[in-house]
Amino acid sequence: MEQSNLSSREPVLEVRDLRKDFTIHVIGRHVEALNGVNLTVGAGEHVALIGQSGAGKSTLLRCVWRSYRPTSGHVWLRQRDGAQIDLATADDREVADIRRQQIGYVGQFLRAEPRRSVLEVVARAGIRRGAHEDDATDQAVTALREVAIGEDLWGTSPVVLSGGEQQRINLAAGTLYPPHLLLLDEPVASLDAGNRQRVLERIGHLARDGVAVLSVFHDLEAVRQLATRVVALCDGNVVADGAPNEVLELVAS
Amino acid sequence: MSEWALHVEGLTKWYGSTLACRDVGFTVAAGEAIGIIGESGSGKSTALRCIAGDVRASSGRVLLQKEGGAIDLLELSDAERRGLRVDTLSIVFQDPSEGLDLRVTAGGNIAERLTAAGWRNFSAIRSRARDLLDRVDVPIDRMDDLVETFSGGMRQRVQLAKAVANEPSLLLLDEPTTGLDASVAAGVLDLIRSLLETTRVTAVVVSHDMSVISMLTSRAIVMHQGHVVEAGLTDQLFEDPQHAYTQQLVSAARG
Ligand SMILES: Nc1ncnc2c1ncn2[C@@H]1O[C@H](COP(=O)(O)OP(=O)(O)OP(=O)(O)O)[C@@H](O)[C@H]1O
Ligand SMILES: [Mg+2]
Repeated sequence: MEQSNLSSREPVLEVRDLRKDFTIHVIGRHVEALNGVNLTVGAGEHVALIGQSGAGKSTLLRCVWRSYRPTSGHVWLRQRDGAQIDLATADDREVADIRRQQIGYVGQFLRAEPRRSVLEVVARAGIRRGAHEDDATDQAVTALREVAIGEDLWGTSPVVLSGGEQQRINLAAGTLYPPHLLLLDEPVASLDAGNRQRVLERIGHLARDGVAVLSVFHDLEAVRQLATRVVALCDGNVVADGAPNEVLELVAS
Repeated sequence: MSEWALHVEGLTKWYGSTLACRDVGFTVAAGEAIGIIGESGSGKSTALRCIAGDVRASSGRVLLQKEGGAIDLLELSDAERRGLRVDTLSIVFQDPSEGLDLRVTAGGNIAERLTAAGWRNFSAIRSRARDLLDRVDVPIDRMDDLVETFSGGMRQRVQLAKAVANEPSLLLLDEPTTGLDASVAAGVLDLIRSLLETTRVTAVVVSHDMSVISMLTSRAIVMHQGHVVEAGLTDQLFEDPQHAYTQQLVSAARG
């Protein structure tokens, strides 16, 4: 009992001394995008990253997702079964498995899967995380309704849809059969007010259900509504980490 | 982590004093697809043909997991290798005439592969060939037409049907959509993706085209002048290429 309480309080994600440099060989450009970042996200926590353009927010999310290769430091993930793994150094094959089964990543743009229907795209994300096909399809239907993607669009390919529709489909896929850790990079950037609210509500439910969420939102209203903690980045460094009110106030002043 | 199905190590091929590929290595899990990307002449097709056994490697190991333990494909006799090619390892070539007899019917090409694996019952063979052609979207009424009367895309579909006829555990694809018109290539790519997704086959996909690799694989290696210069998750190779050559490839692909 004691044991399991203790372990459930351990963070799902623990980023330690994370550095990320980019070297563009042909033009000899070198950028230090993250300079030793520390942060944690617990189960049911929603940590929002804020900071100016170029501060390193997307870079941080991608280092966790491992579509960027961290230069040094650690990205500890406590997996569903309790096992710890350092995503910064883990074998690609292992990262591929963990990604598929435990992590959701929703970027600003849909990674278009041509010639596959909206319903399939969403359901497949659930199947990858271990849902049965029927179950995944049922959940996909619910998720698409929740983000107001009408039934008339389910059979078409997402590639031909509008940016806002794609974004909602992306979100439905990334949150289906909820991942253990959800990474969100401006997931409501191209949505109108009504759709934006629907998507934010879905994200809010997930955190309440115990998903660890690390996000970047363009608008601070969304941060206020959802974040349980806010981490401010400036030039690749964490400059504040605390309660949303406090950090937002600090940054505003 | 899932069990490995294919493990390639130190694979090297010299043609006289010309190096075609050197020290190529990677490991693939059962049911996984890995990509080999590089421009023409980078040694990627040579590496694939060494794995298939069509080209004799100068050195290296190609371990394939089979019931009863791993075997080194480079140490097989010719007879063993031919046997393996019937039901365990299939290769799909860019040029359908390498994988098919164009002067035989679509059904006949598939029947040939089935009979090699011991199928004897005529109607069972017909019905299996029909199922396979249906699966790759070749109209059943073309089953008894000579493959040479087929379009390029259709030939490639027949080649795929033949390659998976005996449910191989390892499928090697060498530029499977290169040379086809864009829309035809897209259809064939879709078909390959669905074959990879719906079967437990382990696959190695060779292509110079980053979009093909990104559609079919989750991990890939990058080859340049016979060497592996970088390995990674496919999206990482695109978004955060480390090696100067990969960076060049990516920026060229972005146009
Ligand atoms: N793939 C990349 N290659 C080279 N440099 C990169 C790459 N990705 C990010 N950078 C650089 O890293 C720094 C941080 O960028 P990042 O995209 O993380 O900022 P951000 O905080 O997400 O900004 P925004 O709010 O504009 O999205 C920038 O200087 C950027 O140019
Ligand atoms: Mg960003």
